[in-house]
Amino acid sequence: MKLFVAGMSYRTAPVAVRERYAVTPAQLAERDAKLVRSASLDEGAILSTCNRTEILGVSRAGEAALERMHRFLHAELGDGSAAAAHVYELRDGEVVRHLFRVAGGLDSMVLGEAQILGQLKLAYRAAVDARTTGPVLNRLFQHAFRTAKRIHHETGLGAASVSVARVGVQLAREIFESFDGKQVLLIGAGEMAESALRGLREAGASHPRVVNRTLATAVELAGRHGGTAHPMESLAEELARADVAISSVQVDRPLIGRPELERALAHRRGHPLLLIDLGVPRNVDTAVQALENVYVYDLDDLEATAERGRASRASAADAAGAIAREEGDRFLHWLAVLPHAPTIRELRERLEAQALDEVRRTVSRLGAPGESLEPELERMARAIVAKLLHQPLEQLRREASSGFAQYYAGALRELFGLEEEDP
Amino acid sequence: MTLLAHSLATALYLFAAFLGWTHRSTRGGFRGVSFVIAFATVIHALGFYGLHLQTPPVPMSSFPAALSLIGWLIALAWLFSLRRLHMRDAGPWVGLLAAAFTLSAEIGLQLDAPAASTLPEPVAWSHAHVLLGTSGFALLALSSMAGLGYLAKERALKRRRGFAQSLPSLESLDRGEHLTLALGFALLTLGVATGFAWGLRQGLDPWTSHSFFLLAAWAVYLVPVGARVVRQQQGAWPARGVVWSFAFLAFSYIGIRLLGAGA
Repeated sequence: MKLFVAGMSYRTAPVAVRERYAVTPAQLAERDAKLVRSASLDEGAILSTCNRTEILGVSRAGEAALERMHRFLHAELGDGSAAAAHVYELRDGEVVRHLFRVAGGLDSMVLGEAQILGQLKLAYRAAVDARTTGPVLNRLFQHAFRTAKRIHHETGLGAASVSVARVGVQLAREIFESFDGKQVLLIGAGEMAESALRGLREAGASHPRVVNRTLATAVELAGRHGGTAHPMESLAEELARADVAISSVQVDRPLIGRPELERALAHRRGHPLLLIDLGVPRNVDTAVQALENVYVYDLDDLEATAERGRASRASAADAAGAIAREEGDRFLHWLAVLPHAPTIRELRERLEAQALDEVRRTVSRLGAPGESLEPELERMARAIVAKLLHQPLEQLRREASSGFAQYYAGALRELFGLEEEDP
Repeated sequence: MTLLAHSLATALYLFAAFLGWTHRSTRGGFRGVSFVIAFATVIHALGFYGLHLQTPPVPMSSFPAALSLIGWLIALAWLFSLRRLHMRDAGPWVGLLAAAFTLSAEIGLQLDAPAASTLPEPVAWSHAHVLLGTSGFALLALSSMAGLGYLAKERALKRRRGFAQSLPSLESLDRGEHLTLALGFALLTLGVATGFAWGLRQGLDPWTSHSFFLLAAWAVYLVPVGARVVRQQQGAWPARGVVWSFAFLAFSYIGIRLLGAGA
């Protein structure tokens, strides 16, 4: 069983490329199903966040499957515009360690951010809905979630304050001396934007204004932060009075263009506006950056700021990296044992069945007084079988990663006359 | 004593700038810069006192003395602004600017000592003219420095290159530029007015190249003052106006003298 990843992230591709390969949460399940069909995978899942689009595949077909995953990435998820350098591929152990690092926020733009875990869960749910996961991916995702929890719990990485919130505040401080009386506008009710808003509120910003397509969601979010909700139609009006605007809306084309913003800002008398664009595809047209007194930062720009924070949390990151490696090794061991699971199961079932047959025969020989002892005798028989098998099966598991396992498994089949072949 | 005090003050201003840039992110670094600049202003003041002890005394209306006063006022204005404006990050720049003016004054005092005594006998108007004009000039120098800082920071933010973190926030720079522009322009206006009054009382021709250029510089300043102070325009445009206006004022005040036309 081979594990593969083909994808791109903020480390390899700029946002201008990534946004052309982004998959919305609503499209995920349908694309997962298509992925498994067209790439002939045993299992598959797509992870698409602001910072990455990755395809995870499990296949017995070897490298050919990876080839097909690449084709799917370019033809079905993106427009084929990504260069070879933008896309990376990972295999087996690299896949496991990579996914565990991603889940723990170690591969995130903002080191240790917890939001990626939610996005990973979303990707997994979509794959489960599309029935494209199996024993390997189910176990891999579950193990990744556990690893992320362990990393956050044991290293302290992933507190809300080290997330986008912190980067947003840091950026805003370059422009504004304080947040007292500053007008914060949230465009869209995404989790990432809310995280940034939380950071600004902790820094002193109050009464945020929330603009969203679904007013009810805006009302709910605004209520949580003591702000006010407004329909998307009032965006221009809200931009005209905002000091900091954070946008994270799923759009096909930029929501904020230069002409509209120019009109909105006509009467601001040069008052600066900080626009933090957390959307992929981007919500703010790149031409807006040329406007005087408007400062636009997209996810790639935030990376530079996040880099500084990353350095300061290097020791926690080292500890988290060690956890990801340790958990990765555990999973890989499980994966190595997986092909011999039928042998182990069959051996245990056969020996237990023979032992229980002997118990029943003995009970029937003893007659009525022995029947009350039957459950106890069955338990004892199972325990004896388990004890007898413990040593050889442990040896088989231990050697699973080394390649000797297939000889042990073959010997067991031969010695005990097992019929079923391992896959 | 005058030259020694000026040399020491220059060295201290430069040390403050160095300290500010090497320890800019620490609270101790900021305190160190404030302390060194404050100490430098005291030494600098002793230098002024020394000017009066010279024989003959160097009048405050002499060019080197005026340059020295500008440097001193720049440092003093920054120290006084610390409570109200968030300009602590500007400390190293202030140190550098004050050092430049103090060093120029020191060189001028060494080269130009006899010329000082050829000026007309000081009267109250001349003192008022020099003090008001020089104070205005110092504040406008600070204003242009804030404007330059604003433009540099704006450029760094636009290009997303390290955000020029050694500079205060755009809002602080804009506010500093606004206050120093308003106050500096008011003092410059009074300085120009008292200068004309002094010339008239002395029976001098008020239309020398110096006075003409100063009046022109005052008129040029009406543009950024109108935009920033009257219309409350913020951002890069007034910052550019302040920087260019100060360049013209500096030329009118210093350049003309250096060219030898500033009678």
